[in-house]
Amino acid sequence: MTAPDDLAGRGARARTALAAAGPRLAAALLGAGCVIWADTGSGVTHKGDADLALFLAIFGVAAGVIRLALAGVPVPEDTFLLPAPLHVWLVFLQTLRRVPWEEGGLLAIVWLEVLHRSPPWHTALLGAALIAYLLAVHLAETDASPAVLRPQVQVLAVGAGLLALGAGAGMLPAAGAGAGSAVLRLVAAGALIAAGALVLPYVAPPSAPG
Amino acid sequence: MSYLIPNDPGRPAAGTAASVRWRSSRHARRLLTLGLFGVFIATITRRPEFAGLAAPALLLLAAGRIQRRPPRVTVRGQPSTRRAFEGELVALDVATEDQGDCTVRWLLQPGREIEPVGAVTADGPAVRFIVSPDRWGRRDLGTVDVELRDRWRLAEGHLTVTLPRIDCYPAPAQQRSQVVLSRLPNRLGEHRARVSGEGIEFAGVREYVPGDRQRSINWAASTRRGRLQVNTFAAERSQDVVLLADATSDVGEPGSSALDLALRGAAAAARAYLDGRDRVGVITYQWGGASWLPPGLGRRQVYRIIDSMLATDGGYDEPSRSLHGASFRRLPRAALPPGALVIVFSPLLDQRFVETLRDMRERGFAMLVVDVLNAEPPLRRHSTDRLARRIWRMEQEAIRFSLRELGIPVVHWDGVTSLDLPLAPYTRRPVVARR
Repeated sequence: MTAPDDLAGRGARARTALAAAGPRLAAALLGAGCVIWADTGSGVTHKGDADLALFLAIFGVAAGVIRLALAGVPVPEDTFLLPAPLHVWLVFLQTLRRVPWEEGGLLAIVWLEVLHRSPPWHTALLGAALIAYLLAVHLAETDASPAVLRPQVQVLAVGAGLLALGAGAGMLPAAGAGAGSAVLRLVAAGALIAAGALVLPYVAPPSAPG
Repeated sequence: MSYLIPNDPGRPAAGTAASVRWRSSRHARRLLTLGLFGVFIATITRRPEFAGLAAPALLLLAAGRIQRRPPRVTVRGQPSTRRAFEGELVALDVATEDQGDCTVRWLLQPGREIEPVGAVTADGPAVRFIVSPDRWGRRDLGTVDVELRDRWRLAEGHLTVTLPRIDCYPAPAQQRSQVVLSRLPNRLGEHRARVSGEGIEFAGVREYVPGDRQRSINWAASTRRGRLQVNTFAAERSQDVVLLADATSDVGEPGSSALDLALRGAAAAARAYLDGRDRVGVITYQWGGASWLPPGLGRRQVYRIIDSMLATDGGYDEPSRSLHGASFRRLPRAALPPGALVIVFSPLLDQRFVETLRDMRERGFAMLVVDVLNAEPPLRRHSTDRLARRIWRMEQEAIRFSLRELGIPVVHWDGVTSLDLPLAPYTRRPVVARR
């Protein structure tokens, strides 16, 4: 191989490595940003719970980032008669890949946000960051380019609008106890049922015909 | 469930319709977690901003639900060849149809002794994998996991396709020279015989007798001697060569074991002698009997010989005839013609095989043994182990000595160098078959 070819090959390899590392780095930064943002509310209602939520959030996000970083590490087919350190390493890899760390991290981050007395715009920004974090994690674990998200742009825009609406509704003066409050609760319950109906097929997907 | 791709190289690849198992992706499950937990928090705490936080995730899930996902796809696959030598590159083209908007990812799981060359994952509806069989035998190429993702990346479809088998031939060693017998059968060929005939190689000068061709008169010699002299030429004959592969013992590192070397050496010898227009056959000696292929001519005979030898590997059809029992006395003349040169590839570990060689020598066959043993018992520190190793070595030397005493040359081949090197003392001049 001539020198220019060698240089071009090295450049291509570097570009490929950078393209693979980009979504992982983005996921790590967005996850860390979400944790920090959720922990920067104006005040804490329960200090002990908040500390626990913060620990769980950091743990979940960190484990998720490590999982993404070690996604390419191969596992040998035959795991019998391996030396103990290698066996421990394989168990660690298996645990890292099986447990849904990101889901745990998400729950902890939202719980942390609840425990802080944060303004509605703060929660809305956290929601946007969480969606970006989830998309980055997905791109990183599937080694896909950001172009695959192009069909979702319109829906994400509508979602951002709903996010803003939610934040706006949160900024309105709170309804007091009485008939209006009961109606609001009914509406919230209806929304919960509607959300459940929307996502129920994902829990129990229909069997493919044929 | 796994679907099998038929192996028909040269023909258009037949499609295999396969059912896809769809399930939610991890991405969808994470969106679901965020959406449900956001709505739950909004309801409990009566804070609408958390419902807003859940809204994009739920919206994505609802929009993705509308997408159509194909329940079945057609998978086509075709290897570039059905037969390959060890280390040869085999291209494997795989493609899907009817996958709609879904993106396709392929993950190759190579079979045993199949080495992937390059990446084992690839994206796209049609991709090409390059693999290389490491060791001879009938090899499964492996399986391919096909992963389909819908346009919204919320569902993943999985199916597994089993790739076809290929026949992997042992990579022939290098051999250019040939061992030639001093007494050759009366059949036209390319080896120079001791008797004069119609060849092209000058043999000598003799006095002219009526009937000799005028063009063969040697005018210089005639002028010198005062009488007409004619040139004589050596006859050109071919010989029968029988390759005897010992498949009873397979010792040594896989890939360079005694059986590997025996097959590679026999393949090289078959190619070299068939290039010299000799008739070459093979006898594969194994536990419980022997299988053989009668001597034949032509390029195809190389493949027939290798097929016959590979029949010792499990899972092969029986292309040649076989004989139960260890004695070669019952082999027909077609398999072991009288006057044939017998080239043996063996580690000489089986005593019955050594006795068989002695028996054949006593019946007058011209033989040459290529010793392919390159392994020894492991070196251990215990004195009895060292003693056993020494005894084993002495036994091996005794076996080889007894064969040499019977007039059977034994040469050692390491499997790395060309076969011409150990055979050199016997390829320079014709081998005399002593009775």
